[in-house]
Amino acid sequence: MKLTVNGQDHEVDVEEDMPLLWVLRDELGITGPKYGCGIAQCGACTVHVDGVAVRSCQLPVGAVEYEVTTIEGLGTPDALHAVQAAWVEHQVAQCGYCQSGQIMAAASFLETNDDPTDADIDVAMSANLCRCGTYPRIREAVKTAAKNLRSA
Amino acid sequence: MRRIVAAIAGIAALSSLALAAEQVGTNRVINDFEEGSVSQQEGLASWQLFYEVASHPRCSNCHVGADNKPMWSGPSYGKTRPHGMNINAGESRIGAETLPCGTCHTDAGGMETVSNDTPHAAPRVAMVWQLAPVEAEWFGKSSVYICEQLKDPERNGGRTVRELAEHLDHDLILHWAWDPGGNREPAPHSLQESMDALMKWAAAGTPCPTE
Repeated sequence: MKLTVNGQDHEVDVEEDMPLLWVLRDELGITGPKYGCGIAQCGACTVHVDGVAVRSCQLPVGAVEYEVTTIEGLGTPDALHAVQAAWVEHQVAQCGYCQSGQIMAAASFLETNDDPTDADIDVAMSANLCRCGTYPRIREAVKTAAKNLRSA
Repeated sequence: MRRIVAAIAGIAALSSLALAAEQVGTNRVINDFEEGSVSQQEGLASWQLFYEVASHPRCSNCHVGADNKPMWSGPSYGKTRPHGMNINAGESRIGAETLPCGTCHTDAGGMETVSNDTPHAAPRVAMVWQLAPVEAEWFGKSSVYICEQLKDPERNGGRTVRELAEHLDHDLILHWAWDPGGNREPAPHSLQESMDALMKWAAAGTPCPTE
């Protein structure tokens, strides 16, 4: 079947019920999205489908109807997405395992709410777990990214 | 008590006069019952059957009130509590304001079937996951409350009872309630029995319990 990831077309020969995460990592070698729990309880595998955050471990590849964006396609080292830049500014990551999922979730959230309150951020981001407990820095980075996106 | 009521409803199904059967979805039909052919007692038994469905966690967990927080209740959850992860579906009832329900309860549209057999994984259907409208609040509500609510056009989407019965079969999240997968308990009775119960309740003049 055909799949467009980060602007590039791919042809993959897999069962339609294979989770998108498996296809990305094992078939296409795109390893930014991480495997955490496999049951949509942690958020480490978050990618965008048509710009909206989705847990790729819970999405059968046969149900993917639009373009997929992973952390590799969100920004580039020379032109970081505002959320990625804020992550660097606030030095959010500790071990880093959850961070691609966190960033993808935050980027999707800010598309629909560009001036979030702390409560909004907590509702939007609470389903992305961070075992290092970087939550205060995540919240600050999301606020900085929102401010920079508004003024962009 | 539940078994007795279900048995009464079963007998009622045989004794009532079915006028016509109209196909509305896969393997389900709208059975019409002539007005007045169903007694008040049978009508109340039919309502009780439907209330057992409406108050079951597979249905009521997402028929929540204005706080827009889905619930985790029922045998597969242990104690009753709001959905984990600080989930709030917002006024949109689909999570558009913060985190879409569909981020985890992914839309499996385009696939013929999708398995929900993995315990504790977010269940999915081939449509956008969402809460029921706020005016259709069922969680923790009494039989009397839900009975009056379902006949009130202001709170039932402006539907006749027949349209309510048809609506039951047009929503894939409702179909999931009887085939939830994982370790979740299915809603009681069946979708067809629930539709029949509504139609018989209507033929009996939509009687509601008094307490």
